Amino acid sequence: MSALQITEKNNTTYITFDLPNEKVNKLSTSVMKELKSTLEKLKTSNTKMVVFKSAKPKIFIAGADIEEINALKAEADVNYAVSEGQNIFNMIEDLPMPTMALINGACVGGGCELILACDYRIATDDSSTRIGLPETQLGILPGFGGCVRLPRVVGLQAALDVILAGKILNSKKAQKIGLVDSVVHPNLLESFSEKEIQKIISGGAKKRYKIFKARGLVGVLLEGPLKSVVFSKAKSATLKATKGHYPAPLAALEVIKKTYGQTDGQVNREKALKIERDYFTTCALTDISKNLIHVFYLTEMVKKSSGVVNKDVKAKSVQNLGVLGAGTMGGGIAYVAADKGIGVRVKDISHEANTKALKHAYDLWKKLVKKKVIDSYQFSQKTSLVSTGLDFSGFKNLDLTIEAIVEDMGIKQKVIAETAKHMRADAIIATNTSSLSVTEMSKGHPRPEFFAGMHFFSPVHKMPLVEVIRGEKTSDETIATVFELSKKMGKMPVVVKDGPGFLVNRLLLPYMAEAAFLLAEGMDIKTVDRAYVYDFGMPMGPFELMDSVGLDVCLKVLKIFKKAFPERVQISEAMEKLESNKKRLGQKTNLGFYKYDQSGRKLDVDETVYAELGLKNPTNPYDSKECVERGVFAMINECCIALDTDKIVDTPNEVDLAMIMGTGFPPFRGGLTKYADHVGAKYVSERLTHYAEARSAGGRLSPSSQLKARANSGKTFYS
Amino acid sequence: MSSSAKTSRDVVIVEGVRTPFAKAGTKLKTVHAAKLGQIALKELIAKTNLDVNLVDEVIIGNTGSPSDAVNISRVIALNSGIPQKTSAYTVHRNCASALESISNGYEKIKSGTMDVVIAGGTENMSQMPLIMPSAITSIIERLGTAKTAGQRISALWDWLMADLKQIKEMVTTPPMARSKYKPIIAIVEGLTDPFVGINMMGTAEILAKEWGLTREMQDRFALNSHLKAFAARAKLAEEMISVYLEPDFKEVISEDIGPRGEQTMEALAKLKPMVDKLTGTITAGNACPITDGAAMMLIMSREKAEALGYKPVAKIRGYAFAGLEPERMGLGPVYSTPIALKRAGLTMKDMGRVELNEAFAAQVMSCQRAFDSDQFAKEKLGLSSKVGEVRDEILNVNGGAIALGHPVGATGTRLVLTLMKEMRRSNIEFGLATLCIGGGQGGAMIIENEG
Repeated sequence: MSALQITEKNNTTYITFDLPNEKVNKLSTSVMKELKSTLEKLKTSNTKMVVFKSAKPKIFIAGADIEEINALKAEADVNYAVSEGQNIFNMIEDLPMPTMALINGACVGGGCELILACDYRIATDDSSTRIGLPETQLGILPGFGGCVRLPRVVGLQAALDVILAGKILNSKKAQKIGLVDSVVHPNLLESFSEKEIQKIISGGAKKRYKIFKARGLVGVLLEGPLKSVVFSKAKSATLKATKGHYPAPLAALEVIKKTYGQTDGQVNREKALKIERDYFTTCALTDISKNLIHVFYLTEMVKKSSGVVNKDVKAKSVQNLGVLGAGTMGGGIAYVAADKGIGVRVKDISHEANTKALKHAYDLWKKLVKKKVIDSYQFSQKTSLVSTGLDFSGFKNLDLTIEAIVEDMGIKQKVIAETAKHMRADAIIATNTSSLSVTEMSKGHPRPEFFAGMHFFSPVHKMPLVEVIRGEKTSDETIATVFELSKKMGKMPVVVKDGPGFLVNRLLLPYMAEAAFLLAEGMDIKTVDRAYVYDFGMPMGPFELMDSVGLDVCLKVLKIFKKAFPERVQISEAMEKLESNKKRLGQKTNLGFYKYDQSGRKLDVDETVYAELGLKNPTNPYDSKECVERGVFAMINECCIALDTDKIVDTPNEVDLAMIMGTGFPPFRGGLTKYADHVGAKYVSERLTHYAEARSAGGRLSPSSQLKARANSGKTFYS
Repeated sequence: MSSSAKTSRDVVIVEGVRTPFAKAGTKLKTVHAAKLGQIALKELIAKTNLDVNLVDEVIIGNTGSPSDAVNISRVIALNSGIPQKTSAYTVHRNCASALESISNGYEKIKSGTMDVVIAGGTENMSQMPLIMPSAITSIIERLGTAKTAGQRISALWDWLMADLKQIKEMVTTPPMARSKYKPIIAIVEGLTDPFVGINMMGTAEILAKEWGLTREMQDRFALNSHLKAFAARAKLAEEMISVYLEPDFKEVISEDIGPRGEQTMEALAKLKPMVDKLTGTITAGNACPITDGAAMMLIMSREKAEALGYKPVAKIRGYAFAGLEPERMGLGPVYSTPIALKRAGLTMKDMGRVELNEAFAAQVMSCQRAFDSDQFAKEKLGLSSKVGEVRDEILNVNGGAIALGHPVGATGTRLVLTLMKEMRRSNIEFGLATLCIGGGQGGAMIIENEG
């Protein structure tokens, strides 16, 4: 079956992409072959114009086939595949007659590079129309001429903005930077383009070869004589954003730097494309790229999943959501839900408490208005969705209520029982507990099959992960509903089994506990944090993390864990001393391991903390490798138990997704288990054995039997 | 008389709520009328756990018609989560707009056309605009149509000169007086009868003189209104919801801003008459203040309410609107009430409670006298005898608009709401809610306790 339909109309040849039996058009090898032979024929035809379009309703071309890229292991194979693509797009550019792309729907990666090879581009204003080059987000760079052609078409600054960040633009923005020539309503795409085509043909059917022209003196200078300033600015911004862990944007920058303004003529073009190809090949073969593609697949997996194995189970629709507790979490949940159009009823015990949730949401939306992400009408629509009350008014209308009150089993059970009385019999209650047993809590609910955990991470509007916790009696329908609701709220749900700390907190806890021991053994707070951020790639180090979670909460959860796993959880004495100072609770009191200003921005380390915890001045006895290994390997150790024995989640996929989305575990490492596979269980086990002895850590750092088993058998997580 | 037999097409009030009423220029001045309505309606929906898909129509009274929400009912409906498919329209009958909304709903339900209607009213009198006078708008029009630079400069110059004249007039003329260049104060114009040109205070002044109501009598009435309202705060709280104040959310308004427990005759006596400086008796103290607020009500056919498991608070027995001389608009209740009573098949004696809107103390007292006058009934109403006495003991027992305020487009619903809650509390069978209407009309509604 053919992926391309070739039709003729008014001296114009239309090439329509329509990949059979697929929802999207992809530039797979077979599609590219077909395109090549079509172009060869067109080269000598007497058609006046060639137009590319798509027959898919919301897709133009979604890019190259990622699976194909991922499968390529040898340098020569990558190089060949890319050069084939480059050649075919050159053929488009070199067709003797003018070319045009009609873009309705997603036009990304290779799709965007295809339209860049055309002379004219018309897009629709449909919300599905999104044009851009997201390659750097997958650890590669645009390889079918995108790095060469986009700067030529839209200028250096706009091109760097798109390529380095891997941006995808709506049609309005695409038109603004000159990536498309016109934007029209989808219903007018055909008639409008036909008129444009006739104009071009009656004007002599000339080729165009658009070259960006800067406007204004500053623009001209920055595109020309001062372009080195643009490059160095872009480079430092990229380094700041990636902390040097992501080579692809820098590689793309190099390509553009070496080729910008020197791509005219076949010889120059070939030189430029070779540079692009070489950098692409280098990037595509890195582990980083493979890891980022792995993460991309993990997110795609969630999009397709329903959260339960049984495909017949359907999620119930959640139009109206209840939130119990208007604190930080409750307010955050209310905001995220209402932002996605869900009606929210917040209940707390006082007006004063309720105002906090309202203000939290109000301020976040106000910021979006300021940034022009939403207009004032959308603002009032969104704010109107949230209302608050002191009683259970309106709870009969709610499909699901999320409980986010104080972490106390007795109180929670009582409140859940009371809430269930005021809701419909088919309504669901979910708890946002971070540390209490969902199964135990479900005993408060008269129908525990309608009860589950829904654990958000703080700050709710920023952290993508939601742990969907299955209690013993939770029904599939409840899980599917909570899972779907999480997605509707723009979150990444991962289904986990009930157990202390569920998945993410259980793995994070040894990491935070270990940091306290590093501190007690003479390490400097800043040094440890920097090691994790700069050497390993975490978004923040363990001390900053503890500050943001709240030191009282950390200690409370640590104690729960010590009770649950006494053989391997230890609490550093220094950590326990934190309890005495009620003013040092972390970011929320503007004082933790660090000092914070009134708006909560991190300042310097509070040097008085060492003395307060009974510690001498830091001597920094260990290198950053040890700091990182002790924390990360402790997580891997715990992960082996959670995954192999307790089966908190089904596969390593969920561990990696949860750690990346819930803790910011560096995506370029592919997740915790991907990273464990990379360093090897044997190495992890050996190092832990060493640390356990050398630092007298005992059970805290001793490799678990599960880890030892992996070390002995060489069995990887992904195999 | 006694209660009539229950029928499936009876129109019942399921529930009602209102925002606190706040004197204009105080706490609610920044809250748009649409937002006030929305806050009340959302709470009504929550309180009744109403399935919004069942609502046939939303009918809201409003007189200010904010220019950014001209069909304010639709704005309130959509922002309150009423489905897009549901019809919504705004009604305007001046002070009785929010009684008009209930009567509209009543008719549609009674006829069998509809089953579930939301009726109410909203007003933000603080936000009523200043309007540019035509002496200035004509210059701005010229600027818009100017074709040459010369024309444009000439128009701009004239605009500047007009602005200077405006400032001069603002400084040299009395605040309320109209002049060529001063902005028109919409609220002053709105409170001036457009047929006879008399301000509402002027109409009250006429009644005070004709019915022989002294300043002291009026002030005494006003004082009682405050004291009753202040004492009834807990009762009034039953009909009220809270308003959280954006953008800081530091304040939550849960009580009316108007009733003064510390009000005294001495303080009232100090106020100057507003219209007739020489012999006038109408002051800011014995008139209702301009006010911001909203009230909403859920009404249904009895069969629908029963099917949904609701226990209605009251049944609407009948209503009437009637006209009279615009300059005596304050007597409107006396004209509309006998018709409403007749339609309800009841007499004034059956009424256990009366809510008669306190636009002015003089106006309410005139009504009381006219209700009790055979002569008035014969001469003005064409009745053989008086409508019937409205005793102080059953009139506005929890205070009235002099204390609570009168957000014009919301008051009608507030009266019925306050009345039905009071009837429920005091186990009263029948009640009358009535009010005078600027322009020379009166409105009345009779309800029956369902408890």
